[in-house]
Formats: sequence, structure tokens, C-alpha cells
Amino acid sequence: MALEKFGLIFKDNRCEIKDKEKILSKLKVILGEKNVSTREIDLIAYSKDSTLITLNWRIQGQLAALPDLITWPENNDQISKILKLANEEKIPIIPYGEGSGVVGGAIPIYGGIIIDMKKFNKILEINDKDLTVTVQAGMNGMNLERYLNAKGYTCGHIPQSIYMSSVGGWIAHRAAGQFSTKYGKIEDIVLGLEIILPQGEIIKLKTIIRAATGPQFDKLFIGGEGTLGIVTKATLKIWPYPEKRELISYAFPTIEDSLEAIRNILRNQIYPAVIRIYDTSETSRHFPQIKEAKDKVMAVFVCEGNERLVNLEGIITREKCEDNKGANCGEEPVEHWFETRFRVTETSFGPPYKIVFDTIEVSVMWEHAAELYHLVLDSVKKVKGNLHITAHASHFYPNGVGFYFTFSGVATGGKSDFEFYQECWDAVIDACVKAGGSIAHHHGIGINRARWMEKEWGKALRSLIDIKNLLDPNNILNPGKTYFPPEKGGAK
Amino acid sequence: MSILEQLKKYKWMIPIIANADRDVKRIVLKNFRLKKKNFYPQGEYKADVKNLINCMLCLKMCRFDCNSLQGAKTESMAPAYKSLIGYYLSVGKIDPSKEENKDFINLMYECCNCENCKIWCPFDFSVVSLLETVRDDINDKGLTPSYIKEQIEKLNKTHTIEDTNIFKTYEEKGIENIESDGNDDVFYYIGCEMMKFPEVVKANIEILKKAGIKFSTNLDKRWCCGAPLFNTRHLDLAKEYAKQNIDLITSSGAKLVVTDCPGCADTLLNRYEKIGVKLKVKVIHILQLFKQLIEENKLILKTQIPEEFKNVVYHDPCLMSRNLNVISEPREVLKKIPGLNLLEPICNEKYTHCCGYSGTLHWANNDLAEKISQNRVNELIETGANIIVTACPLCELGLEKGIEDNNKKKIKIIDLTELIAKVI
Ligand SMILES: Cc1cc2nc3c(=O)[nH]c(=O)nc-3n(C[C@H](O)[C@H](O)[C@H](O)COP(=O)(O)OP(=O)(O)OC[C@H]3O[C@@H](n4cnc5c(N)ncnc54)[C@H](O)[C@@H]3O)c2cc1C
Ligand code: SF4
Ligand code: SF4
Repeated sequence: MALEKFGLIFKDNRCEIKDKEKILSKLKVILGEKNVSTREIDLIAYSKDSTLITLNWRIQGQLAALPDLITWPENNDQISKILKLANEEKIPIIPYGEGSGVVGGAIPIYGGIIIDMKKFNKILEINDKDLTVTVQAGMNGMNLERYLNAKGYTCGHIPQSIYMSSVGGWIAHRAAGQFSTKYGKIEDIVLGLEIILPQGEIIKLKTIIRAATGPQFDKLFIGGEGTLGIVTKATLKIWPYPEKRELISYAFPTIEDSLEAIRNILRNQIYPAVIRIYDTSETSRHFPQIKEAKDKVMAVFVCEGNERLVNLEGIITREKCEDNKGANCGEEPVEHWFETRFRVTETSFGPPYKIVFDTIEVSVMWEHAAELYHLVLDSVKKVKGNLHITAHASHFYPNGVGFYFTFSGVATGGKSDFEFYQECWDAVIDACVKAGGSIAHHHGIGINRARWMEKEWGKALRSLIDIKNLLDPNNILNPGKTYFPPEKGGAK
Repeated sequence: MSILEQLKKYKWMIPIIANADRDVKRIVLKNFRLKKKNFYPQGEYKADVKNLINCMLCLKMCRFDCNSLQGAKTESMAPAYKSLIGYYLSVGKIDPSKEENKDFINLMYECCNCENCKIWCPFDFSVVSLLETVRDDINDKGLTPSYIKEQIEKLNKTHTIEDTNIFKTYEEKGIENIESDGNDDVFYYIGCEMMKFPEVVKANIEILKKAGIKFSTNLDKRWCCGAPLFNTRHLDLAKEYAKQNIDLITSSGAKLVVTDCPGCADTLLNRYEKIGVKLKVKVIHILQLFKQLIEENKLILKTQIPEEFKNVVYHDPCLMSRNLNVISEPREVLKKIPGLNLLEPICNEKYTHCCGYSGTLHWANNDLAEKISQNRVNELIETGANIIVTACPLCELGLEKGIEDNNKKKIKIIDLTELIAKVI
């Protein structure tokens, strides 16, 4: 057994499948021989997602966790039957999209059955009049966008992970794309859903533009993190491919100046599709070639859409930047961003040197935005072993902003990588909560942030858990995530 | 990514480490020193461990376009996962010599040579090239899979990819063999796989003759170019093939080699040089020559294309568009065919998708090769064409399998040369 040589990080509270052969043969009846596996090569492949600490474990020969069975359903009926079987046998089910999640959402911490959604990959319909696309939830983001572009449209949802994430994963984690200031987050883009509930019931939340038909039930599943249902189909908004793009950049003396400029742009109802600011450390890292930006805060903007509108957005964006001490840096920084925005190599650098590296995104209303930024930086710098902490902000709203922190460091004093990692997380999240922020802007809660859910939600968490218990009385759907930390949300 | 680029990219880390507190700096520097001891294999090995590590820890920007992953729809076929397993085999975390670990060894061969990964990779990696370095160690340990050994045996026996010497079947296929008199202008280098399409070979010979070119084919003396030996990493043997081919071409006196197979062209042009044997004569795909002949009015496309061949979609063979950079020539030729309507699939030119039958994949996992082929056929059918035209015998073989399994609509596939032959 190849597996015997691997350490296991999440090894407590694993589900016990008494007769695995029986489950395997039942699954084969449901799915056909080729769509189920217990081969080691598949189990190892589904032991992980893209949570960055797992990269350190990977090179050290440790698996984050280990599933028992992998399935690749091809239709709703099969998923429904797997869920019914799982309820009978009390086996955890872990929905799996493209495994780009960075909070451990798809990691099978208690073992169980992986439902990989990759075979739900059809684009079902483009409706030009309604401006919608209906797509199966396992569809890879870039393969969807590439198809839309070829037909003259865009979804406007371009997360940095678009090449390696799925529509279902976006919905599960309430993802945000780089062009979110204009097109919104995924919750602004989804118009209709098809979902299979934990006990196997298939429900359709019909495509509606706006309604007053009782509570917005669909919102429960957007951000449901694969714990309340499995999304199988979604209808999303699309747009005609933009006719014009304008690239703008300014360097500001301080983070406060840049935030003020952007707040005023949005206050004037101007929505550049992309707005990004980089603190001084990240500016020197990403734009060393731009002399005007030395020791400053770089802000890049992309305005896109109808030509006349873009021209106007350009004028007001520039005006507000100049009113707030911005120095014009031209198009080059934005072109540089376009060229490099998907060329991530940093994650390969640290693990061979046992460097721990991660990113954390949080959101905050304008009132406390700058305060949150400084608090987080000060707080992480105090963690022993910290090498660096920097930030950028890439999602802006008329009422607030999402910050994205990046840190690295090494475990000291005999601590494990994981312990050091948790300390850094504590430092960021505690500071965020102190400043009145929200603990996740678009990566989700998953395993790692579950321990702060009570702080985030207060008493309302109880009601949320009641809903979870109602829909999933056997707690089979993605247990140990979102509501409770793994040690408290154990398998049954 | 070049070393210089890498250094530039990580320059920002230097002051951070320099300014870290003493304890932290000590640990970091120790970790830098111990990297190899901690994470590299002991003893002799050929695997490119450094880059396997880079790839396995990468956030996998290439995966949406990886033909084997998109065909298989399983994480176990993801490019970074292949590198991860390559790494575990190299460091012995997964013991390659154990029969029960055969799946892991097989994975090292479950890549078509499409290199779509390389288009998107921030490190410019081609995963199949990384895996080839793992295959070297597998060979050295005597663990070469049986399906690879069978191919090598065939090559040893017949010097072609078939059980019998496929070049020697020319007579029964009605192909004329043109012996060299040592004074040729052009050597027409026919691919082993193209011998399975005698009508294409015959058409090529006819066109070359019509254009008044002095050329030879020397089918009696021909060997395979050796591409399978490169893929399976039998490089010593590959050298013998290279020498044989170079001698034969040189003895013809030709100043130009034209071939009907992008795989042969790539091998003669690029892969021979990598093992230190250089062919001094220029090598091009035969379509490049045809395009030139059309421009010089030595080849005239005059007849209207028959109705059933009117709506064509061109499938770029991976090696042709990406390795040989032959993208515009076939299109220019197609556009000159009277009455022809050229359609383009969603992924074309250097973004083309694989037919599934390149490299070692179809030996290691024929079902997956077929699935990849079906995916590509679907993309080609989406254009509304009723003819797929291509310029590679392997693509033709591969896509034909995809068409057979595709019950949506029957579509025909032919070589571009056959279209030319219909209008001259
Ligand atoms: C380099 C990098 C860049 C990133 N950039 C961004 C970014 O710009 N914006 C952003 O928002 N995120 C980003 N992410 C995070 C990640 O890509 C998103 O969280 C993404 O939405 C996850 O999609 P996935 O298909 O990979 O999901 P997975 O990782 O497979 O799963 C994530 C969660 O969704 C659940 N799930 C998956 N499919 C379904 C389904 N069909 N039904 C129900 N539940 C399901 C899983 O159980 C799991 O809990 C980035 C990640 C990386 C590694
Ligand atoms: S080939 Fe490149 S992009 Fe793809 S997984 Fe490897 S390093 Fe990443
Ligand atoms: S060579 Fe092709 S099949 Fe192999 S990893 Fe790269 S893209 Fe995938």
C-alpha cells in the first residue's frame, strides 16, 4: 500500500465505513463501474484542495485527509441516489469542483465519499435577449468564459482562479472576480439554480430577475459551501463583450489617500470594472519599474463597456485621483497587471524552504477601512516567525472595501508549520473583528475560519445551524466545515 | 521562466529575509541550506526534481486546457498531480518497484504530447517533458511498462511502428517508390503513420511531380524517425535512428526535406539536435512547399471544389502549430481552393486541442485517448462543417476514432493534400 507511507493531518473523528465493499458495489450500481473508484491513485488525488498550508504538507509527504471513495456522477438522479445511500449509511459526502478552494472546503477531513462534479460540464443555453447563460455546475470557469467570448459575450466574473475553478465552487464560496466593481460578486450574477438537497431531493429555484415571493431562498445556497445542497445547474448573467477598455493608474502617497480617491469615485456612481490598490510593499514588489510609484501606493483601474460611458468614467476617475494627491502613472502598470494577473509562481517558492505562506481576504465598511488595514499589519508583525505581511485591495463598493493580506514566515520554537499558520490567522482575524470587519470577503469559511463563525454571526449562527440541521439531519453533507471547527463538527 | 526572471521575481524576498529577527533568519538560512537534504532524492537520479517540485506546488493555471484532464475529468489526471506523483516516485515516497504501485508508474505515461500546459504555465513548463525525466529513472531501474517494451520490440524488429516493415508495403498499396540517384533537390520523407493513408502519399507524389520537382522517397531503405524512442526515452537507440535517417537523407543529395507528418518534422528538426546529432538540411512540412508552389504559379488550383467538400474545418495538429509554428500556410492554401468555405473551431492555431493519439497516452490508456479525440471532434463538429481537414496522419487516425464513437453526426476527415489533388 502506497498510502501507508503518508502521514495524515486530519485523522481524528473519521467516519467508519463497516463494509466498504458493500458501499462500493452499491455505488457501482448507481453510477456504473467507471464512475466510482477506491484506487489509491484517486484517493491521494482527492486528499487536497488548494489551501496553501497543504502545499507544505504535500512536499513533506503528508496528506491533508483521505477520502474513502470517489464518485463522478453524470446526472441528477445519480447524485440524489448517492445522497440517499449516504444518509442510510451515515457517510460524509464532500462535493468537489476544481479543488481551487483555499479554505479546505473540499478536503475530506473525516473521510467519506467525494462527489466530483467535473462531468457536469455542459453549457445548456445562451439567451441573448435575457442576457443569460445556463450551465451545469461542474463547468470550468475559463472554458465557460472562453466559449462566451467566442460568441461575443462575457460573464464578467473573472476570479484569479478562473482557469482552475468551477461554477459550483464559485457559488459555494460566494466568489468574487477581478472585475467585481462593475459586474458584482457571484451572488449578484446568479439568477437561477438547481440544487440537490442533502437527503436527495432535487429542487429548482427558477430564474427570476427580481421578485417578492417570500424570503430569498436561493441566497442560502450561494455561500452554502457544499453543506446545504449540491448545486447542479445555474443560470448566470452575461454581457455583450465590452466595446472599449480604458486603462488608468495613479500612485498615492498613502493608503488613506488612495482609499479616499476610490470612495469618491464610487460615491459619484462611477464603477470602473477593475479597481486595485497595492500598499507600498506590494507596489515595490509588483511595479518596481514604475519610478513615480516608488514608496507609494499604486492604484490601477480598468473602465470598460459602452464607449461614451467609458470616456466619462475615465474623466471622473482621473479627477478624483488627482483631487486626492494621485500622480498619473499611465497605462503601463495596468498592462503589466493584465500580463501577469494569472502568472502565479509564488506558492512553489516557500515549501521547499519550509516557509509558510498564505493569503487572507476580509471586508470592511469605509468608516474603518484604513484602521483595519493598519491593525492587521501591526498584529501580524508581532507573531514570532513572521517574515512579511502586505496587502492590496481589489474589490470596492460604494459602502466599503475588501482587503487581501499576504503573509509568510517560519515556525519557530519547536512549533509545527500548522501551529504557526494558525497563529498568523488568529492575528489577522482578531484584528479584523476588532476593526469591525467581516472575516471573509470571497474565499469562504471552510475548515479554517469556522472557529470564528460565532464571533462573526453572534446569536444568528444558532438559526443558521437550525436550518442546516433541518435540511441535513444526519450531518452528512460536508461535515466539519463552515459552522463548527473540525474538532467540534465531527462525523457521525 | 529563465533564471534571471526568477531572480527578479523573488528579489523582494531578499530584504525581508535580511531584516528578519535573528532567530527567524537563522531558521530560514538553515532551511535554505538543507533544502536538498530535506526534499531531494538520495543517490543517482535523472528526474528534474527541482521543476517537478515547482509544478506540483503550483496553483495549476494550465489545467482547464490540459487535454488529458479534460478528457478524463478526474483530479488524478491533473498536470500538477502528475508532477506530484513523479516527485513521490523519485524520492521513493511511492515505491516504483512494487507491483501494487503500477497505477502510479502508468500515470507517468498518461500524457499526450500536446503541451497545452506550456501555453498557460507561468514557468513555461511542458509537463510531459518533466515526466520524461521520471521515465528515464523508470527505465534505468528496469521498470519500463510492458506496453512500452512491446513498442520498442517492434521498432527493433522492423524499424517502423508496425509488426512488419510498413514502408515495404508500398507495392501492394500502389505507391511508387522513387529511388535516389544521389542528386535530388528534395527528399520526400514519408511518415510511418502516413503509409496507412496511401491515397495521401500518392497525391503528394503526384503534386510534387506536377510541379516538376526532382525528388526521391527511398522507401526500401527507410526507418521510422524515432519519435516513439524519444517519447519512451530510449535515447541511445534514438541516436541510431537519427544517424540512419541523416545518412539516408544526406546520400540523396537533397537540399530540402519535406515531410507529410508534423511529428517527423519535429523529430528531424528539433529532437535530433537535442541528442547531439544535427541534420544539416532544411526540413519543412510538405504544405509549406505547396503554399510556395501555389504562390509561384507552379501549382494551380483551378477546379471548383465538389459540393460535399465545401464546408471544411481545419484542425491544427499540436506539433504543427506549436512546435513548427506552421499556422498560416495551411489556411492560405485552403483559402485559395475555389469555392471552399473555411470554418474555424473555438480552439485553434496555437491554442488547438489534441487528437488524443500523440505521445505515449494511447498505449497507456487507450480509452482516455479516445475520449480526448471525441472532445476534439465535438469542437470541430460545432462549426457546422462536414469535412475535417488536417495535415497529420496521427491526427487523422486519432480523430477517426473520435468520429467512430461520436453518434451525433457523421463527419469525414481528410488530409489537406487530398483536397488539393481534387482541384488541380
Ligand atoms: C491562485 C488562486 C486564486 C484565487 N482567486 C480567487 C478570486 O479571485 N476570487 C475568488 O472568489 N476566489 C479565488 N480563489 C479561491 C477559489 O478559486 C474559489 O473559492 C473557487 O470558487 C472555488 O471553486 P472550485 O470549483 O475550485 O471549488 P472546490 O475547491 O472544489 O470546492 C470549494 C467548496 O465548494 C464546494 N462545492 C464545489 N462544487 C460544488 C457544487 N457543485 N455544489 C455545492 N458545493 C460545491 C466544495 O464542497 C467546497 O466546500 C483563488 C484560489 C487560488 C488557488
Ligand atoms: S505545468 Fe505549469 S501551470 Fe501547469 S501545474 Fe505545472 S507549473 Fe502549474
Ligand atoms: S502535455 Fe498535454 S496532457 Fe500532458 S499535462 Fe500537458 S496539457 Fe496535459
